[in-house]
Amino acid sequence: MTVVVDLPALIAAELAAIVAEKGETLPALTADSVFLGGGLPVDSLDLATLLVVLEQKLKVDPFRRGFRRFTTAGELAALYAVELQGTELQEAAS
Amino acid sequence: MTSLPAPDRLHPDFRVVGDGADGVRAIIAALVEGQRSDREVLLSRSAPPRLGGPGFAVGLETSGTTGPPKPARHSLERLCGRLRAGVGDGTAARWLLTYHPCAFAGLQVILTAAYSGATLIAAAPGADAATTAAAGVRENADHISGTPSFWRGFLMSQPPPYPDLRVVTLGGEAADQALLDHLRAAFPGAKLRHIYASTEAGALFAVADGREGFPAAWLADGPDGVKLEICDGELWVNSPRAMLTDGQAAGHLPTGDLVEIRDDRVIFTGRKDGRVNIGGVKVSPEAVEALILALEGVADALVAAAPNPITGNVLTATIVPRPNADAERLRQAVREATTGLPPAARPRIVTFADSLSLSPSGKKSRVAL
Repeated sequence: MTVVVDLPALIAAELAAIVAEKGETLPALTADSVFLGGGLPVDSLDLATLLVVLEQKLKVDPFRRGFRRFTTAGELAALYAVELQGTELQEAAS
Repeated sequence: MTSLPAPDRLHPDFRVVGDGADGVRAIIAALVEGQRSDREVLLSRSAPPRLGGPGFAVGLETSGTTGPPKPARHSLERLCGRLRAGVGDGTAARWLLTYHPCAFAGLQVILTAAYSGATLIAAAPGADAATTAAAGVRENADHISGTPSFWRGFLMSQPPPYPDLRVVTLGGEAADQALLDHLRAAFPGAKLRHIYASTEAGALFAVADGREGFPAAWLADGPDGVKLEICDGELWVNSPRAMLTDGQAAGHLPTGDLVEIRDDRVIFTGRKDGRVNIGGVKVSPEAVEALILALEGVADALVAAAPNPITGNVLTATIVPRPNADAERLRQAVREATTGLPPAARPRIVTFADSLSLSPSGKKSRVAL
């Protein structure tokens, strides 16, 4: 059975919660929103937390072989989408 | 008498630019004055430079999360022992300072620039990786030394095409193979190396073969006069550049780093004291856990390090609440208890559980899977 995850919405919601924890507000995210250096109240630790939370929730880790470069919210969503697709194919085949 | 350069004989072409320039100039001025008056120069991250007792040397603080920072004393000669000047084609280097100027690595970059006549680019104190990277690109830096976390921040905030860097150096955290491969691809013309050093033992060695860890062959024949040995899984070093104790070289020192031999490499696998590296800051999960255990309403707690590719680790806290304890109140109490810690040491993910899972020997396992 395929469960469809709205990745952009999940990323936005989790990052908003992380930013709220430090008393700030995350503006609305688009696919082109740049995480670091793009004016968002997000630093490396916030981003690191986001990745840990996403892995816990989605149960896939696009970074299991190490760092992979992504700059925007859209690029990050794409990395998870590929992983989730891979998992679905594995499940369908088994 | 030594033929090494002295603080009052800096290269005439040396200059400092950027929002952090005043802070760097204050450090240089303190070094000049310390040499002139033969007194120790005390550099701290939390106070301006000042002079200490007799005997010209540089006192640095070791980084740490809890307890007061421990001082480490270095002779200027030893600090300069491993400096490499510019790549050497006659064009003056433009060095970006990414470390705190009072940290060991920061001082090395400052001294490198000062003695080779380079231009040093210093971002505002406390600037994050993205801001520092932007300052470097704006000021045309071509020599950059930074932690792996800084480099990930650079790659994630700067759009290609990347500047044509001549020197790319990593230090302060173990450099993993994926990042080294990324940097090789991003900066094909650069001399790429990662440096192993500590405030206590000094600069130990640089690895320039593009691979993580260091060659196992160095255990038999160490680089640059350094002897390397593994005892009980821990790396020990004997370095000619180690800190002074009672005016003498320190000799054989445990590094506190756990290592493993994999094929022809020695790989860094963690800290003996269980401390973890979070974005370049060394954090003790046990110390943070002790703070949480002291809170009313907490029956038990486990603070662990969750690995991630951006900062290496983040801290997570699992709390077993006492009966009738309110979860929201506990979250708030944890926030308040950890608010005085450096940001890297604050647990980022707090969850509640009925019990904690233990290792087969009954101990808390502090590396979250």
